[in-house]
Formats: sequence, structure tokens, C-alpha cells
Amino acid sequence: MIRFDQVSKRYEGGHEALSQLSFEVATGEMAFVTGHSGAGKSTLLKLLGLIERPSHGIVTLDGQNLAKIGRAGIPKLRRRLGMVFQDHRLLMDRTIFANVELPLMIGGMAPAERSKRVRAALEKVGLLSYERQLPATLSAGEQQRVGIARAIVAKPTLLIADEPTGNLDPTLAVEIMGLFAEFQSVGTTVLIASHDLPLIKRMKKRVIVLDHGRLVADVAAQEVL
Amino acid sequence: MSNQFEFPQKEFPMESPLTSDQSRGIRSKPRPVASWREHHGWSAAASLRRLMSRPVGTLLTVAVMAIALALPLTFYLLLGNLQKMGDALGQNQTISLFLQPGQSVSSADMLAKKLRERGEVAGVKVKSPDQGMDELAKMQGFSGALHTLDVNPLPFVLEVQPKADVSADSVDKLVTEMRGMSGVDQVQDGGTWRQRLEALLGVGQRVVLILAALLAVAVLLVVGNTVRVDIASRHEEIGVLMLVGASRAFVRRPYLYAGIWYGLFAGVLAVGFAVLVEWSLAEPVQRLGQVYAGKLAIDVLPVWLLAAVPVAAALLGWLGARLVSAWQLRKAA
Repeated sequence: MIRFDQVSKRYEGGHEALSQLSFEVATGEMAFVTGHSGAGKSTLLKLLGLIERPSHGIVTLDGQNLAKIGRAGIPKLRRRLGMVFQDHRLLMDRTIFANVELPLMIGGMAPAERSKRVRAALEKVGLLSYERQLPATLSAGEQQRVGIARAIVAKPTLLIADEPTGNLDPTLAVEIMGLFAEFQSVGTTVLIASHDLPLIKRMKKRVIVLDHGRLVADVAAQEVL
Repeated sequence: MSNQFEFPQKEFPMESPLTSDQSRGIRSKPRPVASWREHHGWSAAASLRRLMSRPVGTLLTVAVMAIALALPLTFYLLLGNLQKMGDALGQNQTISLFLQPGQSVSSADMLAKKLRERGEVAGVKVKSPDQGMDELAKMQGFSGALHTLDVNPLPFVLEVQPKADVSADSVDKLVTEMRGMSGVDQVQDGGTWRQRLEALLGVGQRVVLILAALLAVAVLLVVGNTVRVDIASRHEEIGVLMLVGASRAFVRRPYLYAGIWYGLFAGVLAVGFAVLVEWSLAEPVQRLGQVYAGKLAIDVLPVWLLAAVPVAAALLGWLGARLVSAWQLRKAA
């Protein structure tokens, strides 16, 4: 599903966020990317959504070399991904329903089918009864769940999340991670950047550890203690 | 696990619309035209709602644009009426030919006949010295003085009336020609003012065109700036839309419709202004008409122009929004 081949990313100003990074994530696998802040976790995810492009090396997604996707092809690529952000990036002036509906509307789905899918996604994150409300009336954890519903509503084959539990208390964080594990169990590939080591250990999934943009450890799920 | 949020397995059936594998991906059935139309409808409605949600700001923008559009329209209206007035007054224009003293009736008649044969001339009236004397006598204050004269000092006068549709230039040429005719002493032409008016109107027409072009640019800038501010204030929303896979055309669409709405409203308001000016001018122009030719009524703006202004304004609005959004979204991406 995901393949990084000798990938480096140097930002303007000389800071090297990723350095000759190589790894693969199989279809249907769930993996964590961890490391101290500034280790390159976010950059790694940004390369997958073509929010950034690598300076060197090849990123392949589903067999497709992302370098071959031009500017006009980016929207189409992003519609295949589900992205969850630490600050959940909801549209505060639209209802929960409208927020979750957004990717389907962009994708051009018929209204009746959209409605069905949005309800299913909201039900899955336990927020169906909130569909008419605005995001501001929800708690941080609930807002993050709306963000997750939006990411999964179009049934992406790959779900990527950047510090999805960064702003949440430990109990909520466990719930959110459980939710991601549920998506993996139905066949979605999941890649999560997180620096919350205790939580990661608890999940018993593969862990990719970065340090200053280099891969320093790649621990398989069964080896996580 | 808190009781407000649980993951019971039965809420996760494999055949739910979210997990059934055969419908993975967004487009179960491709429906590009329908969804395109749908989004246009949505964008038009959403942008209208946004404009209505801040009525004062929208009204101010629309008013500024409307005034910019109404100005050339009003000038055009005034110009048209001045032109018409000039034409109407031209119909009353007469050229007086004073013959040299001592010309006979027959030579005056012959000259009159020669002039009547010309294409530019509608009619020639011959006034004999006696008739001239009678006219003068009728004027107050002259009768006494005239009695002291032994001889009638007045010459024959030919009053030449040019045809109404003859241009001021040709009339001018006729006058010059008449000055050179034998037996003619003096030619008095009341028409030079008309020539001046026509030249002035020509300048006016050019001024209206330039003004219209400048003010169209102003309309473009007003729309562009309003949309620019709008886009800047929705910077985050645009970022989110792009992150979840919206194309630029999708992101841009509501702003283009906002431009169209601004233009359309401003165009309609401008036509309203112009019609108001028309009404307020109608009465004084009519009064002027009564004083002069008696057949002068206000020349109203043609219906096609009134219909074209909102359409053209909507196009200008679209163009302004398009230019700014292209530039603005490139920055965002």
C-alpha cells in the first residue's frame, strides 16, 4: 500500500525533516509513526497527501509513484485518502452533518446516498444525534470524532492521522485509537503519527520510530511489549 | 471506557453502507453532469446566503458598483437628449441672404429659384424691401423713425430653410457658396452654434466611452477586492476543502457566483438610477420643448440597453471574481 524508497525532505532554509527513509506498509496493516517532536512524523504524512513533496526518493501509494501526480491530480489523490488532523480542521460555520458530507459532495455523490453514508459514519463514531449541531457546541473529543467520520465517510483505502489524540485526555485518546483499530479490522490501511508512547504500546500495533528524520526502529506488532 | 462513547460490535455490521467492500470509494456511480449541476446550484445559493448574511456590507459594495455603472448610463442619456435637441432646433434654422441694394424683383426671384433646386434646401422665402419695412414698422418704437425716411433702404432678403436631415457641415458649405453668389451682399447664418454643438457632442460621446471603460474597470476592481477580502477571511475553509480533495474549480465556484450576484444587483440598481434620472428630466425637457420647437420630448434609454446593463455587470462581476480567485487560490495552494 505505502512504500517509501530512500526518501529525503529538505525544507527551504536547509532543515532536513526526513533523511533517506525507506519502509513499507502492507494493505490492511495498521502502523504508528513515532518519535520526538521534529522527528519528521508530520512531514512523512504530508508526503502521502501531497501536501509536501519529497526532495529525493520515491513515495509509492497503491503502486502509484506520487511524483507522477501533477498539481491537477492532487484533489483526486486526496479523495482516495482519509486524513485526520490534530486540530481536526472542521468548518465551524457548518453543521456536523455538512462537515462529514463534504468529501462526498466534492466526490459528486447523489444526495440520497450521501445522506445514508454520512449517517453511517456518524453512527460509527457515536455522534449521530449531533448531526444538526455546529462543531463549536461539541467537546474536543467529539470534534475529533467528527474529523474521523469525515475522513472515513468516503471509505478510503488508506487512513492517515497526524497526532489525532494530541489534544485529548487519556481516556478519550484510548477511545479514538480504538476507533482507528476498528477501521483496520474492516480492511482499511491505517497510519498514525503520535508521540504518545504509552498509548502506542497499549495498542499492540507496528511502530515505526523516527529520530531526526531517520528510521531508527521498526517494531512489528507482535514484538510490542 | 466512558459510558458516553462505546463501540458495540453490533453497530458495525459488515454490510453497513460504510464497510461493504464492493462500494468502497466515493463514486459508486459516476454522475459528473448531475453533480456538477448540483454544485453550481449549491454554490449560487450558498454565495447568495453569504451576501445576505451581511446586508450592510453587501449593500455598500453593490451601491458603489451601481453608481459607477449609472454614471456613464446617465451621461449617455443626457448626450442623446442634447443631440435630439440640436436636431430639433436645426429644423428651425434659417439662413438670411441680404441682396445688394438695388436688385430687382426678377433677379431676387431667379436667385430664389436657383436655390430651391438644391438638394439641401427645403424652401426659400423672398422678402421684398416693402415687406421688410412693414415688419420693422410693426415692431414697437420703429414706426416713428421709419416715417422720416424718404427711400426704403432695405434690400431684398431671401430666407433659406435647409432640410432638417442635412448635416451642419453641408449647411456650412452651402452658406459659403451663397456668400460667393453674385448679387449677394451678406449671409447671416444662425447655424454655427449647431455645428459647435455637434462637435461638442462628438467629444461628449468619446468622453462617455472612455468614462464607461474606466468605470467598468472600477467595477472590476470593487468586485475583485470584495472577493479577495472574502477569500482571505475564508482562508481556513479553503484549506480544509483542498485537504479533503476539492478541486480549485470547486473551491472557486461560490466566489464566482458571489461576483455574479454583486454584478447583477449593481446592474439592476444602476438601471434603477438611470430610470430615475430619466423621470426627473422628462418634465423640464418637455418644457424646453414647448419653448422651442414644440415637438421635443425626452429621449429615453433603449430597452435593450437597460436589459444589457445587468447582464454586462454580472459578467464583469464574474470576471473580477475569477481573476482574483485564480491569484488568491494559487497562493493558498
